[in-house]
Amino acid sequence: MEEKIVAFVNDQISSNQTDEKIEAQDDLLGGGILDSLGMMRLISFIETEFGIKVPPEDMTIENFINIETITGYISSK
Amino acid sequence: MTQSRKNALPLTQSQSLMWTGQKLNPESPLYNVIHTFDFTGAFHVSNFQRAFQELIDRVDVFRTVFFEEEDVPYQSVLDVYAYEMDFLDFSSKSKDFLNHFIKERSQEVLDLHKPLFDAILIKMSEQRHVWYLNIHHVITDATSSTIIYDVIADLYKQITQGEALNVENAPAFSSYVQFEKTQNTANVSDAKSYWEEKIGALSTVPIFYGKQRKQYTSVSKRISFKLGVKLSKQLKELAKDPSIRGFTEHLTLFNIFSSLLFVFIYRISGQQTIAIGAPSHNRPTKRFKETAGLFIEIFPLLASLSEDDTFNSVLQRAKIESNGFLKNAQAGLADAATSRSFNVILNYINARFSDLEGLEMKSKWIHPGHCDPAHQLRCHIDDFDASGDIEIHFDLNQDVFDDELTKKVPNHFLALVSAFVADINQNIHQPTLIGLEEKTEFLSQFQNNVPTFIPIIRKFKDTAQLKKEATALVFQGKELSYEQLDQKSNQLAHYLRKKGIAKGDRVALYFQRTPEYIISVLAVLKIGGTFIPIPSDQTIKRLSFIVNDSNSAVLITNMDISNKDVDVPIIPLSDLIAVISKEKVEELPISVNTMDPAYMIYTSGSTGTPKGVLIPHAAIANYLNWAENAYAHQDPYIFPLCTSIGFDLTITATFLPLLTGGQLVVYKESAQGPDIAIMEVLEENVVNSIKLTPSHLHLLAGKDVSHSNIKTMIVGGEDFKTSLANKIQTIFGADLRIFNEYGPTEATVGCIVSKFDARSHLNASVPIGKPIAHMHAYVLDSHKNLVPKGVAGVLYLGGIGLASGYANASESTSKKFLADPFIEGARMYETGDLVRINKPGEFEFLGRVDEQVKLRGYRIELEDIEANLISHATVENCSVVVLEKEKVIPENEVINCMECGLPSNYPETDFNEQGVCHICTAFRGYKEKAQQYFKTKKDLVEILSKKRTENSSYDCLSLLSGGKDSTYVLAQLIGMGLKVLAFTLDNGYISDQAKANVDRIVSKLRVDHIYGTTEYMNKIFVDSLHRHQNVCNGCFKTIYTLSTQIALEKQIPFVVTGLSRGQFFETRLTEELFWDEKVDAAQIDRTILEARKLYHQEEDAVKSLLDVSMFEKEDTFEKVQFVDFYRYSDVSLEEMLRYLEEKVGWVRPTDTGRSTNCLINQLGIYVHKKQKGYSNYSFPYSWDVRMGHKTRTETLDEINEVIDEGEVKRIMSEIGYSEPAEEALHSELLVGYYTGSQKVSSKELSAHLKKELPEYMIPQLFKHLEELPLTSNGKIDKSVLRKLNAAQLEMDTPYIAPRGEIEELLAAIWSEVLKIKQVGVHDNFISLGGHSLAAIQTTARINEELEIELPLNKVFEFPTVEQYSAYIENTLIELLQ
Repeated sequence: MEEKIVAFVNDQISSNQTDEKIEAQDDLLGGGILDSLGMMRLISFIETEFGIKVPPEDMTIENFINIETITGYISSK
Repeated sequence: MTQSRKNALPLTQSQSLMWTGQKLNPESPLYNVIHTFDFTGAFHVSNFQRAFQELIDRVDVFRTVFFEEEDVPYQSVLDVYAYEMDFLDFSSKSKDFLNHFIKERSQEVLDLHKPLFDAILIKMSEQRHVWYLNIHHVITDATSSTIIYDVIADLYKQITQGEALNVENAPAFSSYVQFEKTQNTANVSDAKSYWEEKIGALSTVPIFYGKQRKQYTSVSKRISFKLGVKLSKQLKELAKDPSIRGFTEHLTLFNIFSSLLFVFIYRISGQQTIAIGAPSHNRPTKRFKETAGLFIEIFPLLASLSEDDTFNSVLQRAKIESNGFLKNAQAGLADAATSRSFNVILNYINARFSDLEGLEMKSKWIHPGHCDPAHQLRCHIDDFDASGDIEIHFDLNQDVFDDELTKKVPNHFLALVSAFVADINQNIHQPTLIGLEEKTEFLSQFQNNVPTFIPIIRKFKDTAQLKKEATALVFQGKELSYEQLDQKSNQLAHYLRKKGIAKGDRVALYFQRTPEYIISVLAVLKIGGTFIPIPSDQTIKRLSFIVNDSNSAVLITNMDISNKDVDVPIIPLSDLIAVISKEKVEELPISVNTMDPAYMIYTSGSTGTPKGVLIPHAAIANYLNWAENAYAHQDPYIFPLCTSIGFDLTITATFLPLLTGGQLVVYKESAQGPDIAIMEVLEENVVNSIKLTPSHLHLLAGKDVSHSNIKTMIVGGEDFKTSLANKIQTIFGADLRIFNEYGPTEATVGCIVSKFDARSHLNASVPIGKPIAHMHAYVLDSHKNLVPKGVAGVLYLGGIGLASGYANASESTSKKFLADPFIEGARMYETGDLVRINKPGEFEFLGRVDEQVKLRGYRIELEDIEANLISHATVENCSVVVLEKEKVIPENEVINCMECGLPSNYPETDFNEQGVCHICTAFRGYKEKAQQYFKTKKDLVEILSKKRTENSSYDCLSLLSGGKDSTYVLAQLIGMGLKVLAFTLDNGYISDQAKANVDRIVSKLRVDHIYGTTEYMNKIFVDSLHRHQNVCNGCFKTIYTLSTQIALEKQIPFVVTGLSRGQFFETRLTEELFWDEKVDAAQIDRTILEARKLYHQEEDAVKSLLDVSMFEKEDTFEKVQFVDFYRYSDVSLEEMLRYLEEKVGWVRPTDTGRSTNCLINQLGIYVHKKQKGYSNYSFPYSWDVRMGHKTRTETLDEINEVIDEGEVKRIMSEIGYSEPAEEALHSELLVGYYTGSQKVSSKELSAHLKKELPEYMIPQLFKHLEELPLTSNGKIDKSVLRKLNAAQLEMDTPYIAPRGEIEELLAAIWSEVLKIKQVGVHDNFISLGGHSLAAIQTTARINEELEIELPLNKVFEFPTVEQYSAYIENTLIELLQ
């Protein structure tokens, strides 16, 4: 799960200019890796990839701050 | 450019919208995206020029051109484009020259067929250079601007530093064009439906400050202002709060600004559901983030705001909304439909420009003075230069926002920003939008000084002194001079004083309009009393209420009433003429103070109980003083007294002429029928001034008034439509001055007035105008803040004309008379009227707050609909109402009768304190009597064998459903030794077990048996569901019809039913049948037979689908008689069940509901419960309980049985019944009533309204009336209009209220029996749901009331109130002869 997400972020939406790989605890938003639109793309990706629905109410920093919290959130669904 | 067309690409969705936008506005520079970059320091012009050419070479949008082929636009990129950037030297020019130059240059419309940019380099001084860059929006957006700037900055740097150029070509926009076309489709369909749903939830775009747009213009003005570092910082701090923050700081700020904009729009438009368009930057990948071009697409953000919202609650919703927005804002989904949903744009710009190779740079975004005409208000938030000071730009469409508003918008918005920062949890109405300056300016229009007080009675005396001989009063050709009027009122005053009436006493005046009334008014004022005018059409009940409530010391009257009617001494003027004429004629000393009450008028109020409004002397003096001058013309006033004296509108005519030396011509109302004195006024044509209501004016509209002497017309009491004003102006001519006077009784006659001006009053209603002298008028919101000019709010009145309050109603007084928030110590009155102030400062009436209707979530102003309806050429007058809904008792509040279990939501039930229903109570009264209707088994055998002949094969046909009751009947008949044929209707839904029961029973009893069927059964069910909301009615009628056919064929003289005794009372033995002293069973039988004949004449599916020809023949009812078994047998349930088990082997089926053998029955119950709120079995079962055949508990268990909805839905589709939409069942019905020379089709009226109004404001029904019902004050009586029901409205006849006693009696009986609120004389009994049972009830009641014997069927022969009363009258006349 984690790998798929990391790959998607790195290849598709990261704003990082360097080719550094992101880590599970990297702050995706505060760290400038994703902007809010990128985050939405990630959420759409998660929905299709893992077959869950993320309602707008769940789209919070707490759930999506890094890859770890994201996998935690997906598992809780 | 053939070369370029090779690589032609289509336009993206967003590009297409802009392309079309530009095509629609070819002369307008609305899509110019212009930035100026102002560099300070050593600047190399040629380096920059070279850098710009390098930029063009590297960024393809600069080389993009557009062309059309067969009207389809394409874009392609030129391989090379050599561009010479102009260099201008302004160093010798004046300071403002640059700005002027830019302003002018920004207006240039770029040619869509060439590269779409314009660039100039300007030298201001050696140390200052300005770069002007204009790019067409179709190839750029805010992010592009920064990308382009970054590229040129890099190039300039490398050139200046002499390095080899190492700047890559920016990615080509063409790859995005491809990307948009090949978007991942799975997610797109979700997103698509997301937007469709959003747009579907919207009605209309909001109207700002009440300004309807008039012209279509792209001219827009930009107002820019900075929030200031402090406020910007506070906002950013707030944005960090975990309960507020979104994914990023920018997103949080975006959410904050969208909330603020939502609140702002809500506050300046009053619209609750609002859409704001916001650009999505739409660069989903890393590569696209580096690509220049038009990526943004605009999607709507939605919010529904309400009175209770706080900034925070709006923000929390905005947060969720923006998540949905971002997630679904996918490339290519914004189209014309999404664009139409908003007229407000929020553009949060998250892009910045950096410095240029060590040079300080200040950028400016130049507004070309135009923008998309659909974007009436754009709000841009940016900090391009990263200064930490947020800048806000409003682009305001100049058609909507005039100069005055353009100035106010920033202040109003800033007021909200400050309030938001100060307390995010405050209500969104709490902060006022109006700043001190605006408030002071508004309040300055009102006069605050106290006028000199001259009591009106003093003024009358002075006038009478001056004009002794002049005619003061005219009545039926007789005149009274001022001196006579003065002396007569003095005499009455002396008489009153003798009777002990003193200063401060209240005196009720119950009068027809006569000189005596005027004399009495003056006399009461002369002794310092308070008069209470009560018009002659008031009922004694109301008269007595008013006399008591007002604490009147005495009642003066010229009406014929007695001391029994009221509790105070009566002074019957007509009887006392001689006595009073002996009193002294000298005047009495007058002493009244400003706050002494002059008169008291009772208003009906919405609560129903009339309330007495106390008007102080200062108030009425102020109004009349003002009116004397405001309405003055060269001749003295001649007014008619022709409207109800109980209406404060009449106060003007009562006093104005007599205080100013004019004449009052008195027109008495007729003792009966409507008050049409106004017609007399017109015919006599002696007055020069008149005061009346718009409804009165409608009466005049068709008359020839070309020679009328009326030159001054004061209209009040109701909304005055411009169309009517124009009509009146036309027929009376230009000499007539028409005034629209507004004022509740509580603010003394009139306090806001306008003079009608056909040229400037172009809206639907004539404005009510401006406040009169010494009166204040405020438009406030729910938090008592002044609303901005143009915005709708509630009207509050202050000033000297306010009533002191309501008599004996301190609670109402303190509720409606509040502290004036703008003047210390003063009071203001809450009118409950919605108004706004238009541009010239006139108040416009928009409707009543309590009549403000919310339909399906939309707030509707009925006046709006009326104004549009009346603009139809054929419509003369109209009134739009929402029909009163049946009061639905919520399920958890329904109680069941303690005795019979009848639920309290059964129509028109009354429960006593013990929780017993009125039917049980009434039944106790005739239960004993009713016993006489029942007979014995012996009687039955006798009847059934009476007609037996040699060749008859059967004595009777027994109806067998398979249930216990009918099985018992069959077994008993066999047991009596009768020859029986059993008949069962197979309706297609008899349960297997029930069918097995039937088969077992008939074989066990060895009886001949037939199943009847019809191919039309499902159609009959559907009809029955529509007609009666159950299936049983249709089924029963089918059984009666088919069994009659068989009996006729087989010459069987009797059909025996298994109806229970409860069912007798339910369907035929109405209470009315037992009203006579002696019960005449034969008479009841005749009545029931009569009813049965009528029953078969009802036009329903059975009549149209089955062969019912036999019912047309009288002898059918003789050949086949129906006999109810249980009339002759009374058996307890236990006994019946025991008998059935032992003798017949009957088994209770378990595969149907308990109450039935039939599978479709639960569908009927379901539909009935859903549409009427209670089971169709509630009523018959309550009778079973009353008869002792069931217990209350059994009944309740059965009617509350769980229904299998899945099965119900399945059967519905099987029989072809479609349920009415939930909305249609429970929504309120909007109805447009209109008068006019002819009926107009509803379709035409709808189409007419749809030109101006949204769908939800179109009445579902239109009804043509001969005239609109009026109250005695001459206003449209909306309460009558609200009470008609849907069936009455659908009838092809106009509503006319009953006239005369018999019509009134009939209408009252019909409305009771048919359970409808209002019956018109043309309403059809059958269409109103009148059936045979109702015919029994109405006929019995009429007979009882008039003590005659009318036959039952007459109500079907003469099915309208009008026809039936004519029939009654003829009958009565015949009887008398």
